[in-house]
Amino acid sequence: MTAGGDLARPVPGGPGRYWRSRQGLALAVPLAFFVALYLYPLSRLFAWSFFSPGFTLEHYAKLFGEPAYLRALRNTSQISLWVTVIALLLGYPLAYLMTVVSLRTRAILVVLVLVPFWTSVLVRTFAWMVILGRRGLINQVLMSWGVTHRPLALIYNMLGVQIGMVHVLLPFMVFPLLSVMSRIDSALVTAARSLGASPRQAFLRIFLPLSLPGVSAGCVLVFLLAVGFYITPALLGGEGQVTFATLIELVVRDLLDWNFGASLGVFLLTVVGTLFVLFSTVLGLDRLTGQGRA
Amino acid sequence: MKEQTHSTRRQFVKLVSAVGATAAVGPFFHARPARADKGELVVVSWGGSWAKSLREVMFTPFEKETGYKVRDDGPPEGAKLKAMIQSGDVTWDILDTDLPAIQTMVKDGLLDPLDYGKLDKSKLDRIPKPLHNSHGIGHKIYSFNIVYNTKALPTGKHPRSWAEVWDGQKFKGGRSFNFRGGIAPQLEIALLADGVPMDKLYPIDIERAWKSMDRLRPLVTKWYQSHAEAIQLLTAGEVDISCTVGPRGIYAKRTGAPVDVDYNQGKLGSDYWCVVKGSKNRDVALQFINFALDGKRQAGMVKENPYGPSNSTAFDFLTPEEAKDLTTSPDNIKRQFWINEEWWGKLGPDNKNENQKQKERFATWMLNK
Repeated sequence: MTAGGDLARPVPGGPGRYWRSRQGLALAVPLAFFVALYLYPLSRLFAWSFFSPGFTLEHYAKLFGEPAYLRALRNTSQISLWVTVIALLLGYPLAYLMTVVSLRTRAILVVLVLVPFWTSVLVRTFAWMVILGRRGLINQVLMSWGVTHRPLALIYNMLGVQIGMVHVLLPFMVFPLLSVMSRIDSALVTAARSLGASPRQAFLRIFLPLSLPGVSAGCVLVFLLAVGFYITPALLGGEGQVTFATLIELVVRDLLDWNFGASLGVFLLTVVGTLFVLFSTVLGLDRLTGQGRA
Repeated sequence: MKEQTHSTRRQFVKLVSAVGATAAVGPFFHARPARADKGELVVVSWGGSWAKSLREVMFTPFEKETGYKVRDDGPPEGAKLKAMIQSGDVTWDILDTDLPAIQTMVKDGLLDPLDYGKLDKSKLDRIPKPLHNSHGIGHKIYSFNIVYNTKALPTGKHPRSWAEVWDGQKFKGGRSFNFRGGIAPQLEIALLADGVPMDKLYPIDIERAWKSMDRLRPLVTKWYQSHAEAIQLLTAGEVDISCTVGPRGIYAKRTGAPVDVDYNQGKLGSDYWCVVKGSKNRDVALQFINFALDGKRQAGMVKENPYGPSNSTAFDFLTPEEAKDLTTSPDNIKRQFWINEEWWGKLGPDNKNENQKQKERFATWMLNK
């Protein structure tokens, strides 16, 4: 997206000159990387999904003919939406807090958000199993306090998946928010206050609208990452949380049916791509990536 | 961390691109699999303590005896082998894997037929017939058994048959069954729970088996993804009963976990030695397989890893104490049945074997509620 933004800038002398310029050279490397390691495999994936071995639409017919596969997509979207909403509700106040505290405290908070980010997803997921399990920390405490007599089902259901995934994805919500919020001129809020706005009004009418690009960027990032999540829903989820990624893994790794697997992949990519385009037009994601007024 | 606190838009974008790039490039920096050069045999196995014992009991002595170097790699995934063969860069020689995987790989032409003429007849005669597969020879026998948490269900008060595992009135605790991994749905076990005798399981009455699975469903707390997870769920007390690999349960028991195994009505299967299609060391590979089928060496393997040795002479080298818990010890094996590979491997008109079809059905069954 940034590449697109920079490329769109008119360069004197036309495109040929551009690619010989220093900036062009610097871009050529990542572009070649992108084409070789991303576009090429993607085109292969696309081709596989239409062949078996001759041209066929059977894989797509199978995908749309079996409601279970679309149900996996529904599970995935449900999980991703929930995770995005929860991450926003937790991440927004956290990011806001980070902008109002001293630089030192902010640094500590950043580290606290980042530290779990540096441990493996698998380890974190197992940690949640220890905490949320039937004989896990939370249930033991609740039962010893007499709050409940039977262990609560905190895991192997939607709740477990939500907790585990929000934990993993929170930094992707907090940092876009933080980067936008820290650029909001605090004088604007002060001005609103001095003109008689209540703190609530100043927040709702000044700060909140200005932070929206961060909200949309964070939401898009978290949602898109959540769609592709595999380990956490597989380990923390129950039978209602079989996701599209699990399905793809099953088809590709266990059934070795790469053509059908490819059609599942292309389908998911199309859905996610469409959502991304919708998001960025409706929510104005371009403002964050540097084309709009920001 | 100072820069982070002053994170600007561009820095953020950079951060995101860096994270993205790492995620994208990560897979390419995986350690390159060992190269199967002349004089070097690459044996691909499941890792863990099994691989460690393979090194001690099999690889090192084989290297000493023959002068060939043995390298290990893993896991023996069909998807990885398929990619190697498609790209023409085959780096593996021998695969140590199970029947469903073999059947799927054979269908895709990823394995060579096993040349039984190169293996000692005296050893083959001591290995049960169901393990003489056209593309592999069974060496490490496992079984799917009733594995239970002994804190929740002290031995004696545990379920002794699959019908009891299916009985939610008698046993209230949660169950755990496999969802994915190499294994197919446990249709035979579902039939046993429904009252089909052990010698009348095949050909499997598919619809009856799935109806029985429907009855199991509400009792299952967690459909596990890997056998390691199954044991973890049991030891942590998340579930009381699991249908998982008995030998892994025995291993957990030996290391002090509150877990035990009832071998009654167990489903016996095996891991096989197979030769990869296009292996550059076929002769050495067969030499190694022959070496590894030796009863005494198999006994050496199962002392640490309580699987069943396929060569019955192995029991001559085990103490009664060591043999007692093994799935192929005489007392245990007679209470179990062999998985019928012909039934699972037969190809339908759609060029799919039963194994693939039932796994696919498993996924749709799980999603259709």
